[in-house]
Amino acid sequence: MALLRSNTGMAKNDQALIRTVLAGNKDAYGDLAERHGETMFRVAFRITESEPDAQEVVQEALLRSYRSLAEFDARSDFRTWIYRITVNCALQLLEKRKKEFAVPITEEFDEQVSGIQLADATAGPERLLLDREIEHRRHAAMEKMTEDERVAFVLRHLEGRSTEEIATALGVTPNNAKQSVFRAVQKMRRALAPLWGTPLLGRRPGVKS
Amino acid sequence: MKHLTEEQLVEHYFADDANRIAAETHLRICSRCEQAYEEISNVLAVRAPHPPAQMPGYGRRVWQSIAAPLPAYPAKTKPSYFSWPRLVFVTACLFALVAAFVLGSLWQRARKLPTEAANPAQAKQRVVLFILNDHLDRSERLLVELSHAGAQSHDPADSLQANSIESEARQLLPDNRLYRQALANGSDPMMSSTLDHLERVLLEVANSPDKLNSADIERIEREMNTDSLLFQVRVLRQRNSTRENQAVSLRKGASI
Repeated sequence: MALLRSNTGMAKNDQALIRTVLAGNKDAYGDLAERHGETMFRVAFRITESEPDAQEVVQEALLRSYRSLAEFDARSDFRTWIYRITVNCALQLLEKRKKEFAVPITEEFDEQVSGIQLADATAGPERLLLDREIEHRRHAAMEKMTEDERVAFVLRHLEGRSTEEIATALGVTPNNAKQSVFRAVQKMRRALAPLWGTPLLGRRPGVKS
Repeated sequence: MKHLTEEQLVEHYFADDANRIAAETHLRICSRCEQAYEEISNVLAVRAPHPPAQMPGYGRRVWQSIAAPLPAYPAKTKPSYFSWPRLVFVTACLFALVAAFVLGSLWQRARKLPTEAANPAQAKQRVVLFILNDHLDRSERLLVELSHAGAQSHDPADSLQANSIESEARQLLPDNRLYRQALANGSDPMMSSTLDHLERVLLEVANSPDKLNSADIERIEREMNTDSLLFQVRVLRQRNSTRENQAVSLRKGASI
């Protein structure tokens, strides 16, 4: 209840700030950027899996949202709107990156950049090798997902957004959003399935037993 | 036992399933579904790297780095309800409204006047035709009776019929004179001549010095050519009936 009230209050503040910006006060947009910037960065990073790319996405999204602020429907939620712009920018950047590097991503995968969090510092060489393989396959599975599947998966699984929010961000129906999440999980499951026979993966830490 | 589908298991993992309790119960008793669910949980437990934490004020800093070349939105002026263009527009609308009302009234009046003028004339004509038709009808009957009286044998009933013919002729005579005088301007020569002829016959019948007998009647018929007069009266009556019907049709059309 308190969360809902704070969200409503934030939305009201967003609307007030938008009116101020549209009245000619450009600096007021800094407050909106401050309020939503971190979330934008997080979503961008989840999709691009690269910090510099996520930074670029946030810049581009803030630029685009400011330019098209006059077209923003005051009845809508600004957070959802800016999410959508961020997601679009992130997907466009991914597309651009794919064109720039035509080689398969699995071959150029750099585990140092991705910062695998599975490995334990005290783990043995077998465990380290396995974690590297898991990350390698997870990354490959993410690459195999369509744009919608990837965004739906990131927002649902990693950001904990509701199906309705994902549907709004993708501009699809909630049922389609749910289907995208399901297909993404299927792809991830297929990519990681061969590893489940490994003794070290019998029970993963933090996984429901 | 019906197993849970992969989709249902994924929905259950994200707590999106409609019947969560039923799914939980099933997972407790079905090892196959439980294994599949565990596999999905394991897959989803593989997390992507966490986004690096940003310094406070991150969003504002990004905005400041890109805001300089962007133009500010033009300040909106408060809308004034009494601006000149608005007043001119409102006045023009009012003027158009009044003009439309006045023109509409004039047009309606222009349409109404001829109708009103035509209606009394039509009504008058209808009354005249009706009265004239009635007169011609009575005259026709009189001429027919006269014709029959002349053709019948000399029996006592004849004197009674002759009395009736005389009486009818006396009643018709003043009316006929009136109509004949009204038509003396020459607007309807046929009607005028017929009424003139009829008046002479009526005078002869009405002013007979003695009681009419068959010989008198035959004489009148012969001298006054009543058969021809009867034919003329019938033709005129037919013509008047047609005119009367036309007048009625016109009146109906005008009312529609």
